Amino acid sequence: MNYLWENIFRRPKKEDDIQSALAANMLFQDLSKSELKLVEDIVHVRRYHAGESVFRQGEIGVGMYIVVKGKVEIFVHDFASPFEEAREIFVTQLVEGDFFGELALVEENSRRTATAVCRDDSVLIGFFVPDLDEIIKRNPSAGIKILRRLAEVLGRRLKETTDKVTDLRRALRELREPPQAESKSS
Amino acid sequence: MNDSRLQALLRRELILKLGVIVVLLATALTVLLTVNNLLVSFVLAFVTNYLLSPIVDFLERRGLSRRSAILIPFVATGVLICLAAYSVVPLIARQASALEAKLPKYQNDLLNLIAASEQHLQKLFQIRMTDFSETIHDWIISQTATLSTQIPSLVSGSLTVLILTPLLALFMLQEGRTVSRKFLEMVPNSLFETTLKLHYQLNEQMGGFIRARFIEAAIVGIVVWLGLQIIGIPFATLLALFAAITNLIPYIGPFIGAVPALFIVLFSDDPAIAESLNWNLFWVTTIYFIAQLIDIVFIIPLVVARLVNLHPATVIILIIIGAQVMGILGMVISIPVAIAIKLIFKAFYEHILESPR
Repeated sequence: MNYLWENIFRRPKKEDDIQSALAANMLFQDLSKSELKLVEDIVHVRRYHAGESVFRQGEIGVGMYIVVKGKVEIFVHDFASPFEEAREIFVTQLVEGDFFGELALVEENSRRTATAVCRDDSVLIGFFVPDLDEIIKRNPSAGIKILRRLAEVLGRRLKETTDKVTDLRRALRELREPPQAESKSS
Repeated sequence: MNDSRLQALLRRELILKLGVIVVLLATALTVLLTVNNLLVSFVLAFVTNYLLSPIVDFLERRGLSRRSAILIPFVATGVLICLAAYSVVPLIARQASALEAKLPKYQNDLLNLIAASEQHLQKLFQIRMTDFSETIHDWIISQTATLSTQIPSLVSGSLTVLILTPLLALFMLQEGRTVSRKFLEMVPNSLFETTLKLHYQLNEQMGGFIRARFIEAAIVGIVVWLGLQIIGIPFATLLALFAAITNLIPYIGPFIGAVPALFIVLFSDDPAIAESLNWNLFWVTTIYFIAQLIDIVFIIPLVVARLVNLHPATVIILIIIGAQVMGILGMVISIPVAIAIKLIFKAFYEHILESPR
């Protein structure tokens, strides 16, 4: 969301990018200014070349990334059989403000379920388990606000996945039993 | 950018960044090892940092700014140490000078005991061991001489450590996170998550280990001091302090800690102690045994739970290597250093071997 006054009170470009990216992120939207400053001091800003991977499927994941600048593409390598070359399936493209990999924040020894590759030269904010732990240790109320939002995000993702599974099951059933057979039996 | 050019660029960046990190670490290590007293000050500051950081976090949670949260426990610890120095140091100094006065007597008694045992053994086994007591005699004399010549440098060294340690500890508490973040910023993207996780694990394990060892040493010291005070053994404070410090050396430390107390009882000219020598020896042994029992039953489970599993044989070998390389300090720091090395190897082994198909 862009407001007119944002242009009047604009801070230096680099700092502003990180601060506004954090403030606009769903995970940190409940935080006060001082709490956001604490998060800003803790998170890691990483720079990537176009074509460089952020992480690869199967790697141990420690946390999530927020796209500040550039584009990130998500792929899944589908191993149909161990002897075949993996098929690369494009999942989605993420742009400024989007975030990914948040499951690794709550899962112990989490493995990345997809590969993330930067399409352009990109700047990402990395927010990892040790960072979340540090926030909980130093400012538990900020930690709770983040965790509640994280739970909401994961809940939403679960709901989306459940909806997709339901759709797929329905499609599968329709393939096995064509609709006319259903109407006959009813 | 095409794929092969990108890979070449990334490889060049990886080598360059890793090179800078290795050079920085090597320089820091060289400075630490070559500048007099810096390593001891650094280790003590490191320990202070880990002991105070839970208090700093607690105060910050209560709403204090980071700066105040650091300054309050730091100043409080300083005052406590000064008070302790004011009340305990004269006592320790008195005990140390009294012990120093009695040292020639203990030295003589020890040599007599060795000579007597030697004669006894010669009678028993009909073998000649003429050189043995002479060798030990020479060794003890040379050790005592070295100690007295080392005292001036020891005093000036202690003063440097006394000034450097709080400064370094304050820097670590205040700027430690910034320094680690700057260091992590230099790590190449492909190794970043592995390094971050490793950094976190090292921090957690070292903190847990140092805090647990400190509590252990304090408890052993207090139990030994109380026990020796009750049965009226001289130099109780000095002996308790020695037991607490040597307890930091795994397995061997508790035995080293008990030896001076047993010698003092054995060679005491105090009639009250000499009268019931066997009972006193028994009670001293029991006190050190109880201190170790409390340590083993209550404290070790806490320590072991936080430790990376190291086999007892590995621990002994590490202590011997530590002693060879850096003396007592080496014996104390060999285990945390080994834990760090093991964690680093494990992390990069996992990174290399368990990377995706």
